[in-house]
Amino acid sequence: MPKRYVGKNIYKVDAQDKVTGKAIYPDDIYFDDMLYLKIKRATHPHAYLRRIDTSKAEKLPGVVKIITAADIPQVKNFGLIIKDQPVLVGIGQKMRYMGDALAIVIAESKEAASQAMGLIKVEVDKLEVISDPLRAMEKDAPLIHQDSNILATHYLKKGDIEKGFTQADIIVENEYRTSTLDHVPLQVETGVGIYDEESGVIKLWVATQWLHDTQADIAQSLGLSKEKIRIIQPVIGGAFGKKEDISVHLHLALAAMETKRPVKLTYTREESMIAQSKRHPFIIRMKTGVTNKGYLTACQVEVIGDTGAYASSGLAVVHKGMYHCTGPYNIDNVRGVAYTVYTNNTYCGAMRGFGTTQMAFAYESQMDILSCKLGIDPIQFRLQNAYDIGSTTPNGQRLTYSVGVKETIKEAANIAAWKEGRP
Amino acid sequence: MNKLNIELTVNGKKRKVETTTSTRLLDLIRDDLHLTGTKEGCGKGECGACTVIMNSELAASCLVLALQADGADITTIEGIGNDKCLDPVQKAFIETGAVQCGFCTPGMILAAKKLLEENPHPDEEEIKRGISGNLCRCTGYQKIIDAIKLAANRLSSSDSGRGEKDA
Amino acid sequence: MQQRTIPCQYFAPQKIEEALGILFRYGNEIKVIAGGTDLLVQYYDRLYEINHWLDLKNIKELKDIRINKNQMEIGAMVTHTQLEVSEDIKKYFPILGQAAADIGSPQIRNRGTVGGNIVNASPAGDLLAPLMAYDAQFRLLSIQGEKIVTAEEFFIGPKKTILEPAQLLTQIILPLPSERTYGSWIKIGKRKALIIATITLALVVEMAEDHKTVKDVRTCLGSVAPTPIEIKEVKKKMVGKNFNQLDFAELGQIVEDKISPIDDIRGTREYRKDVAKKIMIKALEEIDSACGGGSYINE
Ligand SMILES: Cc1cc2nc3c(=O)[nH]c(=O)nc-3n(C[C@H](O)[C@H](O)[C@H](O)COP(=O)(O)OP(=O)(O)OC[C@H]3O[C@@H](n4cnc5c(N)ncnc54)[C@H](O)[C@@H]3O)c2cc1C
Ligand code: FES
Ligand code: FES
Repeated sequence: MPKRYVGKNIYKVDAQDKVTGKAIYPDDIYFDDMLYLKIKRATHPHAYLRRIDTSKAEKLPGVVKIITAADIPQVKNFGLIIKDQPVLVGIGQKMRYMGDALAIVIAESKEAASQAMGLIKVEVDKLEVISDPLRAMEKDAPLIHQDSNILATHYLKKGDIEKGFTQADIIVENEYRTSTLDHVPLQVETGVGIYDEESGVIKLWVATQWLHDTQADIAQSLGLSKEKIRIIQPVIGGAFGKKEDISVHLHLALAAMETKRPVKLTYTREESMIAQSKRHPFIIRMKTGVTNKGYLTACQVEVIGDTGAYASSGLAVVHKGMYHCTGPYNIDNVRGVAYTVYTNNTYCGAMRGFGTTQMAFAYESQMDILSCKLGIDPIQFRLQNAYDIGSTTPNGQRLTYSVGVKETIKEAANIAAWKEGRP
Repeated sequence: MNKLNIELTVNGKKRKVETTTSTRLLDLIRDDLHLTGTKEGCGKGECGACTVIMNSELAASCLVLALQADGADITTIEGIGNDKCLDPVQKAFIETGAVQCGFCTPGMILAAKKLLEENPHPDEEEIKRGISGNLCRCTGYQKIIDAIKLAANRLSSSDSGRGEKDA
Repeated sequence: MQQRTIPCQYFAPQKIEEALGILFRYGNEIKVIAGGTDLLVQYYDRLYEINHWLDLKNIKELKDIRINKNQMEIGAMVTHTQLEVSEDIKKYFPILGQAAADIGSPQIRNRGTVGGNIVNASPAGDLLAPLMAYDAQFRLLSIQGEKIVTAEEFFIGPKKTILEPAQLLTQIILPLPSERTYGSWIKIGKRKALIIATITLALVVEMAEDHKTVKDVRTCLGSVAPTPIEIKEVKKKMVGKNFNQLDFAELGQIVEDKISPIDDIRGTREYRKDVAKKIMIKALEEIDSACGGGSYINE
């Protein structure tokens, strides 16, 4: 970066547009003949769709068209890592969480679209709802997808775990659970789409975190080449990981192609809560060994990450969470296993920290409990175990520069006016 | 559905608008008047992104029927300053880095402006209370509070109060 | 859109009589709207279900707070902000003003009304316990006439009241308390603003002329039962006693024992019972120091 910016207070380039209300977010885009979409979603978290009757809704004045899976046989599943999410659930197919889309309602007004939603009749064959990942892992649990409910298993090994625990004078073993969390960016999922008949290009104005991955995923799902998908990034009203996954994009594209008119889809906050990705709740079983002098010798961890109904970035999040099981502390002997598990909960994906935030709750709690047992000041205990240049992480990465954890701990203690033993 | 006529003043201009019994003031402002600086974050009064000043009071425009605003005087973010002449509060928000994604910003600025009108020298607690109806998910609020303090200081030291000259 | 065949209407009359006439004509087919802060949430994304609105905003007399002989009359359209800043409320009914100041956010307090809070009849409505503690009565009006009821009579369940479709709540009537009346308001919630209460307590104590003996007590709680409730047993224990003879812990225990709250997203039954006791003790201590009632015996 040029030196003229370093150490200077630089105003954000778009701040002025934002304070005057001029900045254009996707929902701020209007076209004269624009249509409004609403998504009819699952009526049960785990069920086969037996029948969907849109006839009454279609007769409602203002309703232009209702798209169901039967209208789009060529469309394929989508997903960030694994293509396991249906664009629309079809007859005989499964809804796996309350956010699964069953139909796209296209209407002349938001109001007509909302009203039509209530007129769509859905019949389902219910299955056992699996909301607990531990239940999902049991042998007799019904399968949510075709294969095992355990989507992925990752392992971690460093040093000799048995030796590590033999060296330990104190061993602490605990189970930690973190909860599902919504990112709640202040703007919900929203966008506008247009289909240009001549060029066959679909233009989408959607706030998107991974523009090119999203473009590729939309293209493969619709069976089009990438050049036919143009995503234009308006100003984003917050994302925090939640806008990495596809949300309104495919439904907008399908509706635009169907009607040849501009279309807009904006989730309600409730819909955003139900349908769009979350932070993974983790179950973390952690066993940590320490010598009487307060040096960490071993860490064994088992992670169960509930990724909900679809993979999203779940495999990577849970995997990465496990890799951070020691936090910024030196431990020579580490063993871990991480399971990414399907359930019928709302799917989980990326959120600030990408798995490490959950893990921090476990290892920092262990550190406090251990320091208490040892009778060592928790700050001192952390400092004497913290990474330095030359430390090696559990997955074998040697840290060669920019290791600031000790300074950070000291400064934090300083700001908190920490005195020996207590804040 | 049948249309009903209302008349209201928006950012100083008299407007005659056709509306319906199910239109919210927020919809009227955004969809009909295209003043899209007013945002919808929840639709239920919780987030303050839709904040406007209605008859000299802060209001969540998602909780007001358009018809209830018949005869009302409304100020939106577009009405308090523009590129040529920023309001001191707008300026302070830019300078302190109180703007990130910006989605909360219009509502937040209106809340701040209203607060400073009623209480030109708010302390930190009073600032927090003044913006307690406005959520921000990006900034952690500290810089917003700093911005409001900065604006308060400048407003009280400048004679005119409005139409900030210095940078 | 033509799906609605009946013409939709919006009325904003200036006179109560006019409003009552409209209400009588439309009965169940019309929605009364005050600040709209409860209604627009309830009807979010389905406002189209309402064809007729009766907006009370233009009826001036419903927006007054006035003293009439030995009582205060608060119009149903008085907003929470008005209650918060009113000098008369501060003087005579301070905890009503404090409760109003604790509601929602500036945006909500500016639009939300006392009438809406009462008629909405949420068990967590913040004004309800203070109103009950100040012996509030409600004036209900229809073209057939007037009815004045107490808060106890008015609330019959969560979101259920005795208000009939053709009736309006027009006024809240509060007897002016003696100068020797003290109050304490405590709202417990997960954060300071924009929070629906987990539990609320409004304690109002009137001292006798000697400034030492308790003459009357009202202990009212919200969010612990289907309606706001008074714990009458507290009164029995306190009336006639010197404030410094009271066992606050025992009184707290009575409150804990007499309520039977439920588990919900805001708190468990156990939590609410435990907190009820603690806030009762705190409220008694506050009143104690406000009225200079002597030393605590439970310390
Ligand atoms: C974000 C948010 C936060 C909130 N926080 C709180 C809080 O902290 N504490 C709290 O107690 N409440 C809270 N509320 C609820 C609400 O704001 C209050 O209950 C408010 O007092 C309702 O008044 P209103 O005038 O807006 O009612 P409206 O929504 O206009 O009306 C409510 C009901 O009362 C009826 N009604 C209103 N006036 C009359 C009348 N005069 N005669 C007959 N019927 C009538 C209406 O028909 C409707 O059924 C909150 C609401 C929101 C949206
Ligand atoms: S959109 Fe109105 S308060 Fe959130
Ligand atoms: S700046 Fe993003 S919500 Fe406030």
